[in-house]
Amino acid sequence: MFAPIEMPLFVGVMAVAAAIAAYYVIKLKDMIYASISLALLGSLTAALIALAGFPIVAAYLVLVYVGAAVMFLIITISMLGLRGSEERDTFRGIIAAAAVFTLVIAIAFSSKLYNFYVLPYSVSAQQAASRLLSRYLLVLALIFVGQATTIVEAISIARRGGRS
Amino acid sequence: MIIVDQLTGVLLVLVSAIIMSIGVYGFTASRNLFRQLLSIEVLFNGVFLLVITLLSASPLVTVYYSIVVISVVSVEAIVVTAILVAFLRAYRTHSSTDLEESEV
Repeated sequence: MFAPIEMPLFVGVMAVAAAIAAYYVIKLKDMIYASISLALLGSLTAALIALAGFPIVAAYLVLVYVGAAVMFLIITISMLGLRGSEERDTFRGIIAAAAVFTLVIAIAFSSKLYNFYVLPYSVSAQQAASRLLSRYLLVLALIFVGQATTIVEAISIARRGGRS
Repeated sequence: MIIVDQLTGVLLVLVSAIIMSIGVYGFTASRNLFRQLLSIEVLFNGVFLLVITLLSASPLVTVYYSIVVISVVSVEAIVVTAILVAFLRAYRTHSSTDLEESEV
């Protein structure tokens, strides 16, 4: 199965938008707007994943990551009202970022990692769910326990704030 | 048509590398703990996109892997936010320099 001819154009547009959103997460001084940019970045990453042929993963990313975790971050930051000046060591950041970028690009293009990408065959939600329940039940239980623990923790923090 | 797949792969790898380097820049340049948390989340988005691109040949494994990874990262983000809120309440600061100086 091959990708349609317009695919690189859509991926390119989404990729530029995602890179801009990532830049604004770092650049914006107001933490609330920075965290909203993170939510936008998560949504654009989900769009790229959906274009790459994984709509179930994209839906899960939007629902669980953007809808729960990033929203929790946005609400926490806006309730704390974090503002003020921020120390920055730009030189160290640029050196580290350039090193990571060079390393990833060198590895990806020297070993032609981009050839690993093929448009996958579509996985239906029913197929994924049935195999998940039959073969990976323990992992699923672990996910539920982890998320339940997170809810308990969030409630305990809120109660602690109320008492003080 | 293979060229279209290759071009898509190149674009996905390239945008992953850009997002990852932006995340690393934010983490190393800033001293604000909340900004560092946001940078780690940016880094996660880049790494996740790269891994999805590389694992696209086996879609079912990718779906299961992604469900686990997204769940763990969501829990991690919320737990770290809670720790930072507790730190902010205790020390009245959100700078990592103060974290190094305080005997936590």
